[in-house]
Amino acid sequence: MAISLRKGRNLNLSKTDPSLRHLRLGLGWNANACEDGDFDLDASIFMLTDAGKVRGDGDFIFYGQLHSSCGGVEHTGDNRTGLGDGDDEMLNIQLAKIPREIARLVVAVTIHEAEARQQNFGKVEDAFIRLVNLDTGTELARFDLTEDYSSQTALIFGELYRAGEDWKFKAVGQGYAGDLRALALLHGVDVQ
Amino acid sequence: MAISLQKGGNVNLSKEAPSLKKLIVGLGWDPRATDGAAFDLDGSAFLLKGDGKVRSDADFIFYNNLKSADGSIVHLGDNTTGQGDGDDEQLTIDLALVPADVERVVVAVTIHDADARRQNFGQVGKAYIRVLNADGEKEIARFDLSEDGSTETAMIFGEVYRAGAEWKFKAVGQGFAGGLGPLARSYGINA
Repeated sequence: MAISLRKGRNLNLSKTDPSLRHLRLGLGWNANACEDGDFDLDASIFMLTDAGKVRGDGDFIFYGQLHSSCGGVEHTGDNRTGLGDGDDEMLNIQLAKIPREIARLVVAVTIHEAEARQQNFGKVEDAFIRLVNLDTGTELARFDLTEDYSSQTALIFGELYRAGEDWKFKAVGQGYAGDLRALALLHGVDVQ
Repeated sequence: MAISLQKGGNVNLSKEAPSLKKLIVGLGWDPRATDGAAFDLDGSAFLLKGDGKVRSDADFIFYNNLKSADGSIVHLGDNTTGQGDGDDEQLTIDLALVPADVERVVVAVTIHDADARRQNFGQVGKAYIRVLNADGEKEIARFDLSEDGSTETAMIFGEVYRAGAEWKFKAVGQGFAGGLGPLARSYGINA
């Protein structure tokens, strides 16, 4: 039985599932039924050192760069509409390949062209992030984002972080009134 | 080397720091990085008798009552954003001035306006509370609220209590639903 996380809660993944080696982060959402037009949400990961910054652009994984330079994080591809059930975008992580100097992986979702399309997370519903052991297919935890995020266009869904030799996950559910570019700049990515 | 406290553990302060006369209780946290209302953590102290209640409202020291009547507890002032390095709030406990009928001093941390702001300890980055010997400012013990507090909004961090002629400190780590008001009422404050 997967653990349902509340905002702010953390979970020790290594203790919950000692067999965990390959982790899938599945993210999903639906456009509010009253909304017309397509919602193109993009999941991304920032691999951060203790200083809260990436080491280089290879630590930023998004639709334009599907693999981290270390090979530990893979984005399985962009979903442009969020239609259908289940995970809309997925990120696969090989925990052993994450370099030691990376303290945490921040998992964010941004709305593509939010400003031009006048979209925000208040118009998105059923957003979630779930964590699955890729080797066993077992869902370890799930976080449903239930607040009204109507002023936000970039949301940190959660973060995966080291606790000694273990990996933990925290349900964050906080965001920004910015876009992916702003979020990248904030985390030290050199955006052209 | 300071002791990293786990819930339920205790340290004998008089043994850890034989010269201890005055304690500093320090509270720190990272300012909010995302958009939205700032994280405002408040440290407070309750002077309790053997029956677990205050003698009067004056035994509740917080941001609106910065000093106990006997001068034993002084709150050095409210920080509402967590900006800056080091401890964001501090209280001092002058052990010799703690009245004889006070058995223990409970130290709590609450998040201001947590419900309205939909905040809890788990969202606040690097929230901690630590106990130092005021003389030399050597850290004796520390407790991490961001990890252990998780979804709580008010937490009894620990208590400084008498053990014969000595003082001990226990890491309580007990969440309390409802915030500072209900917490104060549970100790007999007419808030």
